[in-house]
Amino acid sequence: MNNEEPIVQMRKVCKRFGKIKALDKIDLEIYAGRIIGLLGANGAGKSTLLRNIIGLYLQDEGECITFGSEAKKLGPKELGRIGYVHQEGELLDWMTVEQLIRYVSAYYPNWNRDLEEKYVEDYEISMKARVGSLSPGQRQRLAILVAIGFEPELLILDEPAAALDPVARAQFLDLLLQIIQAENRTIIISSHILSDVEKVIDHAVIMKEGHILLDCSFDELRERFCQVRISALGKELPAELPFENVVHCKRSDGQAILTVQDCPREKLQEQAKSLDCWIEIETLPLEEIYKIVVSS
Amino acid sequence: MSILTANLKHLYQRRGILLVYLALGFIAFVSIAVSFKRPAAGQGRFIGLVVLAFAIGLIAALLPIEIMTKSFSYCLPDHRKVVRRFIFWVGVVVNLFGSLLFIMYPDLHSGKLVLVVCSAFCAGLIFYWLGVGFAFGISSSVSFIGYLPLVMIGGGFFGLHEIIERTIVGNPFGVILVGVLSSVLAWLWLGNEGLARRHCAVPWVGFFDVWNRDKVQKYSQVRMAKKWDKLKQHPSPWVETFFLGRMNRYDYLSDGRYIWGALYKTFGIALSTWKSAFLGVLSAFVIVCFLGYMGAGKNILFIMPGMMVAPMRLQVYSSMLISGGRNERYRCAITLVITTAVLITAMVTIIAATSLPLATIMPDITLQGNTFTFHAMNIQLFFVPLLMIPIVFTIQLVFYRKPILMMWLIMLVFTMLFVTSIFWHKQLVAGINPMFIIGGLLLSWGTFLLVSRYICMSRCLAGKV
Repeated sequence: MNNEEPIVQMRKVCKRFGKIKALDKIDLEIYAGRIIGLLGANGAGKSTLLRNIIGLYLQDEGECITFGSEAKKLGPKELGRIGYVHQEGELLDWMTVEQLIRYVSAYYPNWNRDLEEKYVEDYEISMKARVGSLSPGQRQRLAILVAIGFEPELLILDEPAAALDPVARAQFLDLLLQIIQAENRTIIISSHILSDVEKVIDHAVIMKEGHILLDCSFDELRERFCQVRISALGKELPAELPFENVVHCKRSDGQAILTVQDCPREKLQEQAKSLDCWIEIETLPLEEIYKIVVSS
Repeated sequence: MSILTANLKHLYQRRGILLVYLALGFIAFVSIAVSFKRPAAGQGRFIGLVVLAFAIGLIAALLPIEIMTKSFSYCLPDHRKVVRRFIFWVGVVVNLFGSLLFIMYPDLHSGKLVLVVCSAFCAGLIFYWLGVGFAFGISSSVSFIGYLPLVMIGGGFFGLHEIIERTIVGNPFGVILVGVLSSVLAWLWLGNEGLARRHCAVPWVGFFDVWNRDKVQKYSQVRMAKKWDKLKQHPSPWVETFFLGRMNRYDYLSDGRYIWGALYKTFGIALSTWKSAFLGVLSAFVIVCFLGYMGAGKNILFIMPGMMVAPMRLQVYSSMLISGGRNERYRCAITLVITTAVLITAMVTIIAATSLPLATIMPDITLQGNTFTFHAMNIQLFFVPLLMIPIVFTIQLVFYRKPILMMWLIMLVFTMLFVTSIFWHKQLVAGINPMFIIGGLLLSWGTFLLVSRYICMSRCLAGKV
């Protein structure tokens, strides 16, 4: 349990779009200083959840509190602490990059010019170019810049890296790590590129069809799921292996590869010892964990 | 089901296209009705359906192009060739019917009659291929459909219909030759293997996407990205300095900052391109002159602003997050609508006032035996833009996620007012009194304020159309 007050608190939040239930009784608390990975398939409700947090969407039922204020009533004071990069890439196309930055920065008293210059240089953003003429990748970089330029306490990234090339994605992940070094900075990142997300997050929220399937720290998540490679060392493995909570099992000759959930590693080792087998326990990549959680 | 049959379903599966059929059907009906009146030869009354083939060719080509631009649409076996078969099938059937009107052409005997019908069929094909070529050759050809009535009226004014009819009847062999040649060329060109490849995954503004702001924006972004160094249009430094200066006069939490920011977002580019604005004023003057000679239709000037503001967007629905909340969006929307309404009303009133002295000096014009006299606009109607603009913005806010419905509703309001201003002009003017004006303004502005308040405070403010 965390003793601090959460910066975002959702209680029994429901949101419908016609017949589709985009969010179904969502309970979520987000505490400062975390990088939260919001994972889920298309239509799982990730973007809806994020938009509820910043008040762009309003819940049909339940309560959503952000920085102590009802999401519906968020004003400049609270929104001035939130940066948001969205998948639609809406920017002011008719301005030059420089003009857009000046325009956006006019809303924030704490706009960081040094950070802006550094980012412009690192990302090779042309200040003279017209925003509408930027490629999707460049637009995304610019969207990220205007969302982080005022050093928001809560940074919400909805598919931020989708339009970036691998090098830019790597730079972007470094940037996230730099941002989080400042105290009490929080990032919520929704992405399909799980291999990227797992490099930075310390908390995971997995969604499916408007529900939160899992909400826990990333370390805990990695502890819960593991892959066990068992070898009978030239002999035959027993027909029935004594391991509990096996999610998936693949056997061949004297070997077996098991995916196990919620089973302490010590116990696995003991059981392997009782079988007189060689055992290797590996942590599962996030992508595999995600598949198991979503399919279970 | 054959691939061709499956593709022909596009002709009726999209509900929106029924409206286009309604318009085309109306023109076809008028063309047929005119022919049945047995008009004299050489007056150009038989070519309605022949010329209509251009619009049909345009539409028949746009539908498969739209499908081709979807990735992998025509990568399946035999799917590439179906475009050609689809377009030809539609072309032949349509022009077969169109050419039959010439059966009623006066003073034609059996041999000549067959020849003229064939000539009309081929002339229809020529127009049809022109439409098809237009669709394939010009990237935003779909928007041209809106101008077709103007082209037809203009062509009629210059007597093109008579020339076309005389050519069909007088030079059937020449027309048939050109028709057959153009069809052969079209057949070969549409069978080109590279056609599907050239269109595959290419950004495209579809048939009903012209009203879809997101899609049009995406399309123009991709196009502009290819020529970014050629684009110069952006806010002038003085405009930027002016608006940012005004914003910075206010506290970060104050409404003033957001209101000036919204004004910058809305009017920044228009003020920067003042040369275009000047050209706009100049063309407004030309419009005044034209409307002045139009008789009852002259007061369309007061209704036009409603259409002018239709493409404008209030910044209520925006996923680009700045620190303004729902309250700020609401206040900005009101300010923008008031500013727009006042500016446009002032502009329209000035134009109408200009027509008063012009009425004394503009000469009568005689064209094709008709004399046109310049009439001043009725300045009493100055309040119409003030009345219309909030209604248009209310429709915009309510139907934001249904852009086609939104445009149809705005056009409906526009048409109703236009028809009223022409047919009930005298009653309308007689009924205008301060109570009527105040009542109308209270109703339209009251509705706008209530609707915008409800949307800003209680509805979702982001998301794609």
